[in-house]
Amino acid sequence: MTIQDYRADAMRCTRCAYCKWVPLDLMKSWRFSKGCPSVEYGKFHSYSAGGRLITSLSLMDGRSTVTDKVKDSVFMCNMCGSCDVACKVCRYDMEPLLAMHELRAKLVEDGDLPEAFQPMLESLRKDYNTMGEPHERRGDWAKDLGVKDLTKTTAKYVFHAGCRYSFDGEQSEVARTAVEILKKAGVDFGIMGAAESCCGGKAFSIGVDQQLHNSADHNLAAWKKAGVDTVITPCADCYYAFKRLYTKHAGSTIKVVHMVELLDQMVTDGRLKMTNPVPMKVTYHDPCHLGRQGEDYVPWDGVEKKIFGQAVVYDPPRPRYNGAFGVYDAPRNVLKAIPGVELVEMERIKEGAWCCGAGGGAREAYPKFSEWTAGERIEEAESTGADALVTACPWCERNFIDAVRGTKGKLEVLDILQLVNMAL
Amino acid sequence: METKRRQLAAIVGEDNVLDDPKTLEEFSSDESLCEPLRPWFVVRPANESEVQALVKWANATATPLVPVSSGAPHFYGDTVPTATEAVIVDLSRMKAIKRIDRRNRVAVIEPGVTYSELAPALAKEGLRIPRPLAPRANKSVVASLLERQPTTIPRLNFSLPEPLRNCGVVWGSGELAFTGEAGNGPLNLEAQWQRGLAQVDSKGPLATDLMRLVTGAQGSMGIVIWASIKLELIPAVRSYFFVPHSELGGLVDFIYKLTKVRLGDETLLLNRAKLAALVEPQPAAARKLRQALPEWVALVGLAGTALFPEERLKVQEKEFRALVQEFRLTPCGGFAGVSRADVVRLIDGDSGDHPPTLTAKGASQDIFFLTTLDKAPGLIETVRSVAARFDYPWPDVGIYVQPQHQGVAHHVEFNFPYDPNDAKEVAKARDIYLEASAELVDQGAYFSRPYGYWSELVYQRDASSTEILRTVKQIVDPANIMNPGKLCF
Amino acid sequence: MEISRDAYRAIEDIVGTENVTDDPAFLDSYAFEWLAELVRPNRSHYMPRPWAVVMPASTREVQAVTKVCNKYKIKIKPISTGWYHWAAPMKDNEPTVQLDLRRMNRIIDIDEKNRFAIVEPYVICAQLQAEAMKLGLNCNIIGAGSSTSVVASACAYFGGGPSSHYMGNNSDNLLGQEWVTPAGKVVRTGSLSSGAGWFCSEGPGPSVRGVTRGNLGSRGGLGTYTKCAIKLADWPGPTEFEVKGRPPGYRLPVGENFRAYTIGAPNWDAWANCYYAIYDNGLGYIFHRQLNLAGANLATALWLTYIDPTKTLNDVETLAKDPEIVAINETARISFQLILAAQSLDGIQLQDKILNEILSQTGCYKVERYCEPDMAEFTNMYMQRLGHKHCNFIWAGGYMGSWMQAGTPDFVKDYVPTAIKGFEKDQQSHLLVECGGDALMGCGSTLGGGGYFGLEQFVSYDPASDASIDACIKHMEDAIADCVAQGLPLGKELLYLQIGWSDQRIWDGMAKAPQTFVLDFQRQFKNAVDPNSLGDRNYPWLPEKWGQAPAPALAK
Repeated sequence: MTIQDYRADAMRCTRCAYCKWVPLDLMKSWRFSKGCPSVEYGKFHSYSAGGRLITSLSLMDGRSTVTDKVKDSVFMCNMCGSCDVACKVCRYDMEPLLAMHELRAKLVEDGDLPEAFQPMLESLRKDYNTMGEPHERRGDWAKDLGVKDLTKTTAKYVFHAGCRYSFDGEQSEVARTAVEILKKAGVDFGIMGAAESCCGGKAFSIGVDQQLHNSADHNLAAWKKAGVDTVITPCADCYYAFKRLYTKHAGSTIKVVHMVELLDQMVTDGRLKMTNPVPMKVTYHDPCHLGRQGEDYVPWDGVEKKIFGQAVVYDPPRPRYNGAFGVYDAPRNVLKAIPGVELVEMERIKEGAWCCGAGGGAREAYPKFSEWTAGERIEEAESTGADALVTACPWCERNFIDAVRGTKGKLEVLDILQLVNMAL
Repeated sequence: METKRRQLAAIVGEDNVLDDPKTLEEFSSDESLCEPLRPWFVVRPANESEVQALVKWANATATPLVPVSSGAPHFYGDTVPTATEAVIVDLSRMKAIKRIDRRNRVAVIEPGVTYSELAPALAKEGLRIPRPLAPRANKSVVASLLERQPTTIPRLNFSLPEPLRNCGVVWGSGELAFTGEAGNGPLNLEAQWQRGLAQVDSKGPLATDLMRLVTGAQGSMGIVIWASIKLELIPAVRSYFFVPHSELGGLVDFIYKLTKVRLGDETLLLNRAKLAALVEPQPAAARKLRQALPEWVALVGLAGTALFPEERLKVQEKEFRALVQEFRLTPCGGFAGVSRADVVRLIDGDSGDHPPTLTAKGASQDIFFLTTLDKAPGLIETVRSVAARFDYPWPDVGIYVQPQHQGVAHHVEFNFPYDPNDAKEVAKARDIYLEASAELVDQGAYFSRPYGYWSELVYQRDASSTEILRTVKQIVDPANIMNPGKLCF
Repeated sequence: MEISRDAYRAIEDIVGTENVTDDPAFLDSYAFEWLAELVRPNRSHYMPRPWAVVMPASTREVQAVTKVCNKYKIKIKPISTGWYHWAAPMKDNEPTVQLDLRRMNRIIDIDEKNRFAIVEPYVICAQLQAEAMKLGLNCNIIGAGSSTSVVASACAYFGGGPSSHYMGNNSDNLLGQEWVTPAGKVVRTGSLSSGAGWFCSEGPGPSVRGVTRGNLGSRGGLGTYTKCAIKLADWPGPTEFEVKGRPPGYRLPVGENFRAYTIGAPNWDAWANCYYAIYDNGLGYIFHRQLNLAGANLATALWLTYIDPTKTLNDVETLAKDPEIVAINETARISFQLILAAQSLDGIQLQDKILNEILSQTGCYKVERYCEPDMAEFTNMYMQRLGHKHCNFIWAGGYMGSWMQAGTPDFVKDYVPTAIKGFEKDQQSHLLVECGGDALMGCGSTLGGGGYFGLEQFVSYDPASDASIDACIKHMEDAIADCVAQGLPLGKELLYLQIGWSDQRIWDGMAKAPQTFVLDFQRQFKNAVDPNSLGDRNYPWLPEKWGQAPAPALAK
């Protein structure tokens, strides 16, 4: 697809501004009513999904060119998909998130990618990770865990830690915890270790589509060779990349499971026994790529057609991704099963969740915006009276931890696996 | 002057041009303490074209016009000329009830129609309008609405001008134009009715609320020759409750809740002096009655209207009882000396030819303004301290608080009876009026109807909005012939 | 026309460099507006581009920017949530600052006891409602939905919505307001001008607000409204909505002291009679003909599809042919939505009894399928928060509302057949969505207490298709022709089309109005408060003596 394929979307945008807010039905207060971090920070309409659709049209129509301001408005965005959910409350014919992606891809193609992304891309090319770390160290987090090395043997499941858990020393504990849980549950799994490669999702999110293809080709081949039919990951970004992007762009048929889904299953069938009370009040943050963007992908190759004269539909019917069926219940079931934990919800949850600020390249290229976005979420979490903000994505966790530290706040930031571990 | 007389006679007919000394004297002053000024003529037009001809004539001859619709007595100085050589335009002959539309619950009336004339005509159709408290029998409905006199049913008061909707206005320029919805249609009511229009929406036309430019205007923008008013159904069953308390403050939260949930029809607050004066026309009897009454009462009327009226009333009574209990208040149906008939007369009747505020001593200095209910007790205390300063007996002061705009704004009114033949009392009344008004405005009382001295207080507070009003006046009455000298003009 | 860069720099000094831009792509995001394609040359989706977009943070900044614009003769066009082509600059050759008020987004105060809120222009109805509900209060949400600016609908445009029947039109709910005139003066109206607070919009004396509002409002054409106070109504429900379900068809359980009904009528006479009876009986917390926006032929199929999160619009095609759905559709053909609310269980039971009696007397009925829990809860959610107004565009991305002449139920009933017939005919081109001739939607009453509203046809067209755009324009012209032929006042389509007309053409039309007093007034008023003509023609006026035949020459 290209930006031209979304020309009709742009022309059908009505400038209703729903993309700026949480779904209006879900609004519970003035303070936590906003849905789009980008337009809240950037302010001008161009920073909203609707605004970017118009930017696309304006560029396609030759009415404007890519200036630094335009680049800012395109890339200072988490690609969180809040806009997509809100728009699709009333529209079946619009794909704002996909259109915004193609706008990025177009700018990338034309050489207009902000310089700030180059270190990340260089690291991906050289060391197959987004963290600027040597790839040889990638498997260090799993040293001494006695996990199968899938470069040497086979297994049904591959545990993919992801770049952040692999290299962020503070957070690697989460990956280790996941591994211990899998071992105890008797799951036949292994890891790629130093040979693990970035999922490619982050590069894709900034419009460098080729990198996704490279990553997908590499990973799928490696897993196939290792006899894997299911990838398990504790990272929401990787989850999304494998489940949605690899399926759509690389024809992947591999099954994808997030650790939180596995935990939920294990709680249901009694394989996970949590007996230590964890007396904490927690609130759960829905990672964008596990929540509203974590829906199953259904391959589709079709065309637009009209019924009733002009009503826009698709042939065959086009699957809808509007956040209705994201992974929301699994983490909540797990939390409710932890003895002593009291779950209190924020106002913006599930498909209406406010982004952590890390996605879409924002953390790399727009750190102030990324930090501000996280700060907003921290404030929301604190407003619940919770002791801890719990989530299921290392990027969310890192952004929140940094934001809390930046304000010397008291809120603890935990991965759901850490809480589970406390209860085991 | 003789030329003018002939010209006026040519418009309204010889018999309707009055300049005998007695008539002119009646219009030279009123019950307020405004400076008297004798008009030169009183004319009584019969219809729209005569009114328009009068205004055009006034423009041509630079003659001030003062429109008057209600019969005497008048109270606030707005009907007394403030410019010499004025002609009073007495609209009391224009008494047509042009239409009563039951289905759309709209009536169209001329300015001379009084409450006592309109009520029975509406009653034949099972209709009524929200009324002010005990208007005098010759009070013009249109004048009352134009001056935003408060009505007693706050839940129906979706805006302060309600139930006023559209007006036909001969503007100061002499042009005839309609306000609101009627301003979009033909310049003829019958033609509008034929098209199914009913002069319902008060807004507009376009980006101007012309109706709002003639309300509160004291006749300084133009002459209203007809008005459409929203009607309500007459209740089939009613009950009334008094909720007494020793302090107004003790009723505030109750009234807030009552108006918030829109329970009940008539909702008003009266102090003992006011209630006694309303009920008992004889001064001595009123003073005696006053002693037996609680310091304050809220009067609440519940009504069952339209379908299942008895059941409606029953539900309302149940909800009302729950509400008074919530605020630990004890309602009653009346007091010794205040019967249900008295209440019905207050609510549905008029005060005859003798306004109750005048019965005590022959004259009354009234002070009234708008505020929010929570501020009312404090503002009342302000007036009390001013009265004390001048040794005015506070128990004689009647106080009336009327929730408006569904309980957002509240009309607070004080009546200071005084003997107009006693110079000291007259001076005292004036001093209290001036001093209390100045202190009230500094404390946030809103003189939304700025008669007399209040206009000085109010218009100097904000130059920008005053300038806007003057701009409007300049446009609709470029020759400044409509009641010049009133407000900020 | 060149504007000095000094003007730009002066504005930067006021609002900060980060709050002003003249980047072309950014400007286009304000020029692009819904409905532009119906009026602009070559069906362009862009209205005229602003000269710059400026985001002030306060009244002081608005005033200062206005003064700069006066100096450099740059027009000013304030926009808050901005959803209509008239939110954009009007003319190509008139440099215009688009004043984006999104930084002025505070709820300054909610006075719980006195039941009003003071808000800035970028507070939307949903935000205010959410905060008001916590205090047992509610606000009128206008027909365009809860994503719209409270200030805009109170101060500058129409103001009616489904809740107006109970809560009042926002024009009547307007209390004090703060207005920066085109000349850059700050005017405060009502009690605010007296320093008495925000609680009253009338007076002192004649109401100054009379020049700022009217029915249509100035739509940004006469200065900037920077704050207003708005009256709130009571809310006898929970402090927040306990929303259920998945998008798009969120559901709101109907509380025990509420009811959510869809009422059907056998014919338009019964429909009108029912409306009058509802008015007479004082029923209805929310009262609107809403769900019919999808077209009477397709509404049932659409909404039953919509509330199923697994379905797409493709499913509407199948469902619309289902005989059971067809039958339901017929019962809902002439229908409207009615939400009841009471303070007590006795109260709601009595309202039910009254409603049932009204239905019995008028021959109307509850549309059973729509009153079942799933549809009732969806209807309740839709009507209470009015957060699905973008469904106006659900079919094809374009919607234009024609007709909408306002009057009494009898008045509206009289034009309905013409509106339906005309729309049916225009759909035969297949270039508009064929939803049936009746896609009429409108309030039960735009005025508190009942009595007045209009119905607008929801004409769905594809803005990505030139032919469909042209078909919509043709429909607008046909609707105008039908009105002229029937002697009816012209509808909303005229207002839309006028955006693309020349001044002269607009004035020619205005000059034929039966009464031009207000247009003359507005001309003179504009001259006084807008001496440099910074406001555009959204504030309409007529040049002096326009359209009047010249006086005959005197015989020599």
